[in-house]
Amino acid sequence: MKNTPEKISPPKGGETYKYRIAGALAGAVNGLFGGGGGMPLLVLLTRWAKLEEKTAFATCVAVIFPLCAVSAAVYLLRGGFPLVDALPYLAGGLVGGWLGGKWFQKVPDAALRRIFALFLLYGAYRYLVK
Amino acid sequence: MKDWLLPFLCGAATGVLSAWGVGGGTLLLLCMTLFLGVDQLTAQGINLLYFLPTAGVSLLFHRKNGYLDASVLKSAIPFGVVFAVGGALISSAIDLSFLRIPFGLFLLAAGSSMLMRRSKHG
Repeated sequence: MKNTPEKISPPKGGETYKYRIAGALAGAVNGLFGGGGGMPLLVLLTRWAKLEEKTAFATCVAVIFPLCAVSAAVYLLRGGFPLVDALPYLAGGLVGGWLGGKWFQKVPDAALRRIFALFLLYGAYRYLVK
Repeated sequence: MKDWLLPFLCGAATGVLSAWGVGGGTLLLLCMTLFLGVDQLTAQGINLLYFLPTAGVSLLFHRKNGYLDASVLKSAIPFGVVFAVGGALISSAIDLSFLRIPFGLFLLAAGSSMLMRRSKHG
């Protein structure tokens, strides 16, 4: 398939340091503030590293996943956590995550961006006002 | 039945947004603390746990549909984990309230510019 033109995408190798910085910043925000690392991560991946939007949203979920797993493990080790209370939320999350994953391809980029922007603004309100 | 039905439905509704990476966890925290009478600390713990099955199952779809960028994952995850642990240690040692204003301003700028931005892909 020598003659097939390459799909247009940013050069992978040259962007590595941007991905590292974005990941480090997401981790730092998560660690320092106890959450919210996905917000700077998505902004940096789309605006600075020029990742395609849908790829950026899905990839953010995948980057935050291990960070969250580490935090959850620490939380559980500290003890005193009512696991039973969490079960209905986990079961609901499983269903929602399944549906969301299934529908993701059909969601317009603009809708994703707008919903995300509203949460960024809510985050801004939390940090600046409350 | 009501005891688990509302939490289940909230988890499912916010789970869709979590799968898309657009703030489902934040919304779930609000639902729990404002409407379901869960205290803030417990809610944060539930929120952390909730993200694991929710994101986990959505990632199976994202991988199948080719939405995960392997080079980003390889670079971002190790740095993210190290900085998250470091950040957590720092946050338990010193008062970080001076960081709230700059981070809030960053979110305000990013949120407003995203809300107003138009894209070719619609």
